[in-house]
Formats: sequence, structure tokens, C-alpha cells
Amino acid sequence: MLFYILIPLFVALALLVVVSIGTAFTAVAFSFMPFHKVPLRYNLRNLQVRWKTTLVTALAFTLVTALLVIMLAFVRGMDRVTQSSAIPGNVIVLADGATDETFSNIANPSVQLFPDDVQKSIQKITRTQGGKKVREFLLSREVYVLVSHIVKQHDDGGRKRRFIQMRGISDPEISSQVHEVSLASGSWWSASGVRSVPDPAGSSDAKIEVLEVVLGDGIARILASDLGKKELAPGDIVQIGPNTCVVAGVMNPKGSYGSEVWGRDTQIQQIFNRGNRFSSFVLRTADDETGAEVAAKLKKLASEKYNASTETEYYKRLEGSSSVFRVAIWFLGAVMAVGGVLGVTNTMFAAISQRAKDIGVLRLLGYTRFQILCSFLMESILIALIGGILGCAVGYLFNGMTATSIASGGQGGGKSVVLQLVVDLAVMGPALLLALVMGAVGGFIPSINAMRLRPLESLR
Amino acid sequence: MFDTILRELQTNFITQVAFVISLAVLGIGITYAALKPRMFLLMVKNLRRNLVRTTLTFLATAVLVFMIVMIWTVINFIEDTTRDKAADFKVIITERWTIPSQMPPSYANIFSPVAINPDGTYRTNPDGSLQKNPSFILDPENNPDAKGIDIGSKDFMLWCFYGGSTEKGKFSRESIVFFFAMIPDQIKGMMAELDTLPDELIDKMKKTPDGCLLGKEKLESLNLKVGDSFRVYSLNYKDVDLSFTVVGKLPEGRYNTSAIMNYSYFNNALDQYYQTNKRYHPMHDKRINLIWLRVRDKDTFAKVGQILENHPQVKTPTVKVESESSGIGAFLDAYKDILNGVKYLLVPAVLISMALVIANAISISVRERRTEMAVLKVLGYRPGQIMNLVLGESLLVGAVSGFLASLAAIVIFNVFLGGIQFQIAFFPAFTVPPTALFWGIAMGSATAFLGSIVPSLTARSVKVSEVFSKVA
Repeated sequence: MLFYILIPLFVALALLVVVSIGTAFTAVAFSFMPFHKVPLRYNLRNLQVRWKTTLVTALAFTLVTALLVIMLAFVRGMDRVTQSSAIPGNVIVLADGATDETFSNIANPSVQLFPDDVQKSIQKITRTQGGKKVREFLLSREVYVLVSHIVKQHDDGGRKRRFIQMRGISDPEISSQVHEVSLASGSWWSASGVRSVPDPAGSSDAKIEVLEVVLGDGIARILASDLGKKELAPGDIVQIGPNTCVVAGVMNPKGSYGSEVWGRDTQIQQIFNRGNRFSSFVLRTADDETGAEVAAKLKKLASEKYNASTETEYYKRLEGSSSVFRVAIWFLGAVMAVGGVLGVTNTMFAAISQRAKDIGVLRLLGYTRFQILCSFLMESILIALIGGILGCAVGYLFNGMTATSIASGGQGGGKSVVLQLVVDLAVMGPALLLALVMGAVGGFIPSINAMRLRPLESLR
Repeated sequence: MFDTILRELQTNFITQVAFVISLAVLGIGITYAALKPRMFLLMVKNLRRNLVRTTLTFLATAVLVFMIVMIWTVINFIEDTTRDKAADFKVIITERWTIPSQMPPSYANIFSPVAINPDGTYRTNPDGSLQKNPSFILDPENNPDAKGIDIGSKDFMLWCFYGGSTEKGKFSRESIVFFFAMIPDQIKGMMAELDTLPDELIDKMKKTPDGCLLGKEKLESLNLKVGDSFRVYSLNYKDVDLSFTVVGKLPEGRYNTSAIMNYSYFNNALDQYYQTNKRYHPMHDKRINLIWLRVRDKDTFAKVGQILENHPQVKTPTVKVESESSGIGAFLDAYKDILNGVKYLLVPAVLISMALVIANAISISVRERRTEMAVLKVLGYRPGQIMNLVLGESLLVGAVSGFLASLAAIVIFNVFLGGIQFQIAFFPAFTVPPTALFWGIAMGSATAFLGSIVPSLTARSVKVSEVFSKVA
């Protein structure tokens, strides 16, 4: 029942929007043509004379535009994180049926058991071991654990917790090449993955063994702020879940890995009771096409069933949450826009009723109805433009701000990501366009009213 | 419904403020209309005079209030869920350091006040009553430190998560289903909003080993109805594929996408795996994901936490004990920036936007009616009365539009759409609470008042001589 009432309403609104935008385009184009038209100076002067009303109306546009810019910047930041995590040619392999590393559990993969054509497709690096040059597969074995981390102990006994992503890898050199991750400071961990350091709680002579970790840039900032520091540096001691850890290094920004803590796989398997099992392995092929072929073959292996896909596909699935946010943002934007449209309609109706004599004079001077329509529509669009530009400027202040969110495909699991808001043309453009559409739609009906005023009646 | 309103009023500060503002506005409005009916009628007539402007202002306010009610419903629900309750204090026991929490089946025997059979059903006495668990860790007879904790048979619940797809090898939104494997006796009383589940349904679950309860949306997405059978190919319990019979539907609301199965059926399947393969399933000792206990209050919760987190029987793995609100709060921590952005940026900006729209409309109205106001002054109306006239018009539009917008939100979302369909973490949909009516009136009135302060002061200070000299 509600559906049948709302459909004609939506159709009428859609028609109004389309006609308004079409007329607005014409009006704008008209203003640049060398035809006889109502001078733009007239509209600008009126906006100046009624500056209070112009300002208040433009402020409404500013708020809507600024909010839209900030929300879209957030989603853009999320997309950047997931897209920059995916390396073309990488294939991520999980347990059969698992869509997320959290729920994946596989044995140590034996590349020699893979078909020959798969082995040939996996890229290799050359390393020197014991004076000999050895070719090794670019295959990163990884155990992924979500750690429940206590942030601070509250006085009432309640504890604030967050989830920290820990990744145990067997060979940092190979993994860093596979994921194209580099260190901003410090170094990778030692062969054992643990280090002897002075006991922070004990006497100066006492030493304890702590886990060596490399932090992503995002999680390093968050853990630093927990400790009241600006940043964490190699050598800093930090508690992560049950582990006392020493920071061996901090990564350069790299997609979702910026939210992770990396350590030696054997240590992490032991601490979190994972036996000798892994969550995933990632191998490097020449390109996504080769990667897709390798993934298809790995899915059909007789020795162990895998769920394999290229990283590009895998991270694209994680953009599911971005899509949900994007739809929600545009829905909220549309609703706010309605409020803005009604506000500017009010302003323009008032402006037209106050300037009825002006319109009469313009008609007597020879300006046509259509020229009057275009003139008032331009005025409405100008208010929207002023408000929209201000809104983009306000939104731009949030560029580079850090925030956290979850990237998820929506079927359970997901990655907690630290992102930075990205305010660029791809974000400001649509927001400014919405402001202009609001101005066009809001000014259309008042402009029609202005167009229909009879000169003699308006001058009476 | 009145219980919900009362509870919200007792616990929620924003609702309390909204209630006070709504009462004040309604009280003042009704009193003014009763004491000065002519002025009230004049306000209504003034609004009617420029119907276009009044309608536009009304619609703009209503649309923005509608939007804020939508947003605040989600924020309010999440805040309410993550706020510690004074009564019905639930405690979650999970693996201490990692997600997902995976605990051995022996923990069910340690934490349950009722004895549990090896197959996962409650053990009963010959007279049908539930048998006490002699190994219950929080029984004062076993542990003197547990004196005064008082956890009964209805204060315990365990959850095992079993997930899979109805299509082998294919995992899509339409085929995926995640079950809570539970002991049927635990469903009513421990699961929020399932108190209305008929006892017959619980009995049916007990009598049908492969019985399951599905939510409305899950039934629709799997294309099933009550009485149908289906098979699930497991995602997290590899090679433990199970068949189910739908014995009932879960109430609409937060369980729309949920599914509940028998813990005994799940246990038996893992035992069957052992008998078939002569080895335990890799998840055999990791099957229990959450254990819930209900305690009296926060002090009892602290006591329970102290006992369980240091107990020698609870070492592999160690557990953490947190309140329901704290546990949910930890999961929502990743959404903290989004929720804070919405609460402290979006909502205030929309409220300011509303105030601006109203301020604009009232300013224009006052400017156009300067002559009328000068005439009213000549007729003997005091400046204060003229100010009240303008404020009253604005408050009338604001309060009525706010009320109608929130009413529309309640009807549209709760009646037609089954709640606000926006998935955050494990909350699939949000129901607009009846207290949204107070929010609507309060928002509409407050923004109308703020937006019309300056125009009403301008109206109050209209100078008769200035107006008539211009007219002359």
C-alpha cells in the first residue's frame, strides 16, 4: 500500500529534478552566450544587498556539502587502504570454504606437491645461503591471529579492549617482497623472533625474553597514543595481548598491513596455541591473469583443498563494507539535500515576492519570460555555488585525518583498518555537484513563479 | 511499550532531556492556548496566510527530524547495548587473548550450574527437575569464595557457532547460514527479546534433534518455511555437514538473520566424526565459543571475574570475564570513529541546518510583516507579546513537524520495513523506539526556538515611527 502511494511521488520528484537540472544547464549555458540576457551583475548585486539571507541560505549548503565531503573522504580512505593492499599477481590461499583469514586453518604448504605448471608460475628470488646462490619461491606462509588487547584498566574493574591483528610470518625477506612492504625504521626480527631485554618491572640486572615485532604505521600510532607517546620507535617495549614485545621496526604505510603487528610465525603459533598450522599463504605470479589460473588450479588440488583467489579479487570483496557505507552516505546526503532544497526555495520565493516590481520593470524593458527564469535560477545556483565551495573548503580541513574502521565482505570476518581521510577532486566534485543540483531544484519553482508574473500587475 | 518508554526514561539522558523539553513545550503551548486563545488563533492565522512558506519550513524541518530520528535510533541502540545495566547483568566468558574464542567442551561442565549429559542435553532427576552440577565452579560448596553469587539453572547459556552454506562449495548471502548451537532450555530467559517464544516451540526443539529455529530474513533468503528440511555444508567444521528441519520462526527484529540449533545434535555430530574417522575433529576441543552467566549486580560480576580468571581448572585456555556491554563494546571499537563522527559531527550539523532553515523563514516573515507589527503596537500590543507571537509561530511549526516526522519514522520503519536495515557488526536492523516521539518534538521545538530568537527580537524592536514614515 505504502509502495503504491510512494511510487507516483518519487516519479514526480524525479521528473522535477530532471527538468530543474535541464533548465539549470540551459540557464548556465545561456549566461555565457553573447545573447541579450538579464545581466549576471543584477543577481550578484541582489545577493550582496540581501547578504544576511544569502549567507544563511548558503550556510545550509555549506553544512550539507561539508558533511558529504567528510563522509565520502572516509569511504575513499577505506578504498585506498584495501586497493593498495592488493598486489597484482599475488594469489592469496585460504582453507577450503574460508573467506577470511580469521577462520582459515591450513597445514604448512609443500610447494613441491603443487603441479609443475603452478610451480613454474610462482616467481622466485635469488638468495645467498652458505656462500651458494639459491632460488626460492616467493611464497609467504602466514598465521593470522586477532588478539584481544587490553587498552587500559578502569577503576571499576571493567577493561577497555580492542582487537589487534597479529601476523606470524616465516621469512620476512620473502614476505616483504611478496607484499611490497618496506621498513621506515628499525629492522626485521632475529632468527628466533625473541630478544633479551632488561625487565621493565624488575631490577636493572634482570632480563626477560620478549617477542620481537614489526608494527604497521597505523597501529604504531594507536599503540603510541595509548602510552601517551607521539610515535613508537625501535627498542620501545609495548604490551600486545599476553605478550611483552619489543618494537624491532615500523613499516612504511602499506594498505591494511598498516594496521597489523608482524612477528615470527613459530612464536605466534606457540603463544596462541596454533600448533604448526597456518591461516594462509600468499604467492607471487607475473600478473593477475596468471594468478587467476594458478588460483583455479590450487582449488582443485588432490592433496589439500584450498580456497584461492588473486589479491585483487580478495580485497575487492572486502570493499563490501565500503559499498554499504557509500549507499548510506548518499541516502543521508539526499535527505539533507531535501532540507537544503526547501530552504533555498523559501529564500527564492521571498526574494521574488520582494522584487516583483523589479521583474515587472525587466519585462517592460524587453526581457522575455525565459530570460527572467534563467536569471533567477542562476541566482539560486550562485547561492549554492558559494555554499558548496565553502563546504568543500571546510571538508578539506579533514584531509589526512586518521580514523579506524572495518573492511568486510559482509559474510563474517573482516579486517580492522587504520585509514586516512582522502579529500580530493573525486570527493569534492560529487559533493559540489549535489550542492548545485540542490540550488537548481530549489530555485526552479520560484523561478517559474517569477517567469509567470504579469508586468502591469507586479507594478501596481 | 510503556515499559520500554519507562526504562528509556530511567536510563537514557538524551531521552530524559527530550522528554522534559517536550513536556515544557506542550505544557506552555496548551497553557498559552487556554489563557490567550486569541493570540493563539492569530498565530495559526499568520501561518495560514503564507501557506507556501509555512509548508516549505514544515517540510524541511520534518525531513531533517526524520533523518536524525533514523540516525539516533542506531546510535541510541548501540549506546544502550554498551551501557552496563543495573539489573539483568549478563557476563560473557570467552577465551582470554584471541578471536574467535574457542573453548573445550569440558568448560561447559565447569561453568554450568546444571549437570550436562555427554550428548549435550541437561541431566534430569527422576522427578523431571534439572540435576545440579557437582562440578560447578561457582558453587559455594565447591568454592567458598563463590558464596553469595547465586547462579541458577536459568542463569547460564552456552553458544557454539556452526556456519555453512546450503550449496556445496558456494558461499553467497543467499546460501550462507550461521547457527547458534544451544541447549533449548537456555533460549528463553537468557536470549534478549526471546521471552515471548512459545514453550511449545522449545519443547519441539528438544524433541526434534535436528530441529532449528530460523529468523524471518534467513527463511526468505534460503527459500524455506516451517516444516522444511535442508542440508548445510559446513564452513568452520570441515566435513561435518548436517541436515536440519525448521521447527519454528524466531521473532522479528534483531534475530531476522539468525538461526538456532540443538547443542546435543552438534555434539553428536562431532562424536560421530570421531567414530567414523578414528580421530578427533581439529575443532573438537575448540567448539564452545561463548558462555553466558547472569549475575545480580556489578559487584557479583567483579567477584565472578576474579574467581574464573585465576582458577587452576581454567588454564587451557585462560578465559576473560566481561560484562555483556563491555564485550559488545570491544567488537564495536572498530566502528568507534564512525559512530563518533555521526554523533558529534553529523547530528549537530543537521540540527544547525534545521535552525538555519527556520531562522531564514522566520526572518523573511518578520521582514515582510513589519507594517503589521507596527500596527499591532499601535493597537496596544506590547513588544513582549509581539515577540511571543513570532516565537509561538515558529515553535508551533517546529513542534508539530518534529512530532509528525518522528511518528512517520516509527510507522515507516517499524511497521513497513521491519526496522532500519543497516548492518553494523552483528546488529542487522534497528527498531525505532517509541521515545522517538519525544526526540522529534524536542528537536523541532529547540531548533525552532533557537532559529527564531533573533527574528523575534527584531520583531519586538520594530519602531512604529520608522515603519510609518517609510509607508508615508
